[in-house]
Amino acid sequence: MNKQSLIYTVIFTFLVSFVFVTVLAFANEATREQVRLNQELARQRAILNALNIDYGGPEDVQAKFDGVKVVERNGTELYQAQKEDYLVVAKEFSGSGLWGTIRGILAVQEDMDRTIGLEILEHNETPGLGGRIDEPWFKQQFRDLRIVDGTIEVGDAGEGDEDKENGEIDAITGATRTSDAMRVILSNELSAFQSILGGNS
Amino acid sequence: MSEAGSILKDNLWSNNPIFMQVLGICSALAVTNLLVNTMIMAIGVIFVMAMTNLTVSIIKGLMPRKVRMMVQTLIIAFYVIIVDLLLRAYLPDISRALGPYVGLIITNCIIMGRAEAFAQSNPPLISMWDGATSGFGYMAVLLAIAFFRELLGFGTLFGIQVFPDAFVPWTIMVTPPSAFFLLGFIIWIGKTIMNREGAPA
Amino acid sequence: MNAAPMLNPFSLFFASIFTSNILLANFLGMCSFISISKDMKSSNGLGLAVTVVLTITTALNWAILNYVLIPLNVEYLRYIVFIIAIAAIVQMLEMIIDRISTTLYMNLGIFLPLITVNCAILGVSLFMEIRNYTFLQTVIYGFGSGLGWYLAIMALAAIRKKTEKAPVPAGLKGPGLTVITIGFMAMAFTGFSGMLAVQ
Repeated sequence: MNKQSLIYTVIFTFLVSFVFVTVLAFANEATREQVRLNQELARQRAILNALNIDYGGPEDVQAKFDGVKVVERNGTELYQAQKEDYLVVAKEFSGSGLWGTIRGILAVQEDMDRTIGLEILEHNETPGLGGRIDEPWFKQQFRDLRIVDGTIEVGDAGEGDEDKENGEIDAITGATRTSDAMRVILSNELSAFQSILGGNS
Repeated sequence: MSEAGSILKDNLWSNNPIFMQVLGICSALAVTNLLVNTMIMAIGVIFVMAMTNLTVSIIKGLMPRKVRMMVQTLIIAFYVIIVDLLLRAYLPDISRALGPYVGLIITNCIIMGRAEAFAQSNPPLISMWDGATSGFGYMAVLLAIAFFRELLGFGTLFGIQVFPDAFVPWTIMVTPPSAFFLLGFIIWIGKTIMNREGAPA
Repeated sequence: MNAAPMLNPFSLFFASIFTSNILLANFLGMCSFISISKDMKSSNGLGLAVTVVLTITTALNWAILNYVLIPLNVEYLRYIVFIIAIAAIVQMLEMIIDRISTTLYMNLGIFLPLITVNCAILGVSLFMEIRNYTFLQTVIYGFGSGLGWYLAIMALAAIRKKTEKAPVPAGLKGPGLTVITIGFMAMAFTGFSGMLAVQ
């Protein structure tokens, strides 16, 4: 058969595409369940991180997560964990960054005295610039940070604000828009917490 | 030197795609701020390159000329999707960090270049070897960049702290411009040594 | 999966041109960037072609994604579908331009084949997908990224013209110096983020 003929070309292209697409469909089906489990695990780990609960391997994550109480207050899903003398409450947040939606988990003390931790679930900021919101030094700033006047201020760019009492975190060098976006997201999130927790505590 | 040996030397050094033509860095430079991500990304590229060369070489006798480029693209895209699915299922954290950059392996000019230049006119196994070694040359340069970016930008190597706490990280190394500087210096050093060896520059 | 983000269209446009330039911050489209930027005229042609193709393909891929791939639940095929759509558009543009005018073909058309494998084109489509943009956001982002790429290659071509004759160590000549120059440009572009903060 003439390999340069139109018929052969069309049949060849069709067959190749058909084989590849079929294999991919199977591969996708085979990994679907695993991918879903991974997403769930990632979410549980993020919640535990935000609540400042240590964990080990995947089974431990599940066990520790079973210790977290999932409650609904005023139509919002909250994750609660009891510490020695206070209750910690975590909630998912989302807001717009520079490029796309930033989703994450923020945990606060129930009396809104301090934030306990922040974890990022998903973001699309530029790697090396705004994408640094997902680096440990940035998230570490939210560990036991005092909330001053009901909000968290984003200060000048730096390498992590060590002062836990000033209610301020450092912005990210070269990522003004992402830092601004975080300020808005945090302020919305804290007022959401205020209205949920304020009525009940 | 055996054929396989000379291909190895060629692809790793004297004809390294990054040194000689600065090809194919688009898909990977953005993830060079951490060694782990770079390593996984490079392994992905090696896999795609070796398998594409193998496949192209096997079906080269059946390939109609008119759709050659399209079928090659299809083959590359097929293996890239496989890599993407595997990462999602078994290395979810890295998959999240690499994000859309895995998909961009498709447009890595080296892959199509090797398929055109080598696999089209050589038997399958040696083509696969050519693809893999081109990938090794590529990995070597990227790992060198990532080594300095992670060491100076975070004070860690593969996520393990190597510098004492007193070390002040160089923020510039985390931001995108540093990748260009380091790549420029690596090309400079590479070319200087090559000039001294008397190889054609 | 998620709703589209609420983004200020102005800052999206500005950021895609300057502060997070597709080339300088995301490293996309480097291959043709380095070889073509030797020459001002070709840079101009390629820059224009990239801008046109980027705007059209990103919008088209958005439509394919939202009206074909997602309803059929075959999003995992998106890499293949996107790259084929890009190749098809480039081919069609080349034919159309060839019919319309020879001058335009000489200025723009001859660069089109280079574009299919330009990572910036596929990159913008993939970013658009992962960020759940609306159609309007997609068009702004595609057009802005194209302009940003255009601006970057023109600026680099101008700088290279000036440094061409400068005496530099032999090993640094050519790609080495160019890549370092791009590094400085990337730093300068990051500086634009201060401008946006004033708005």
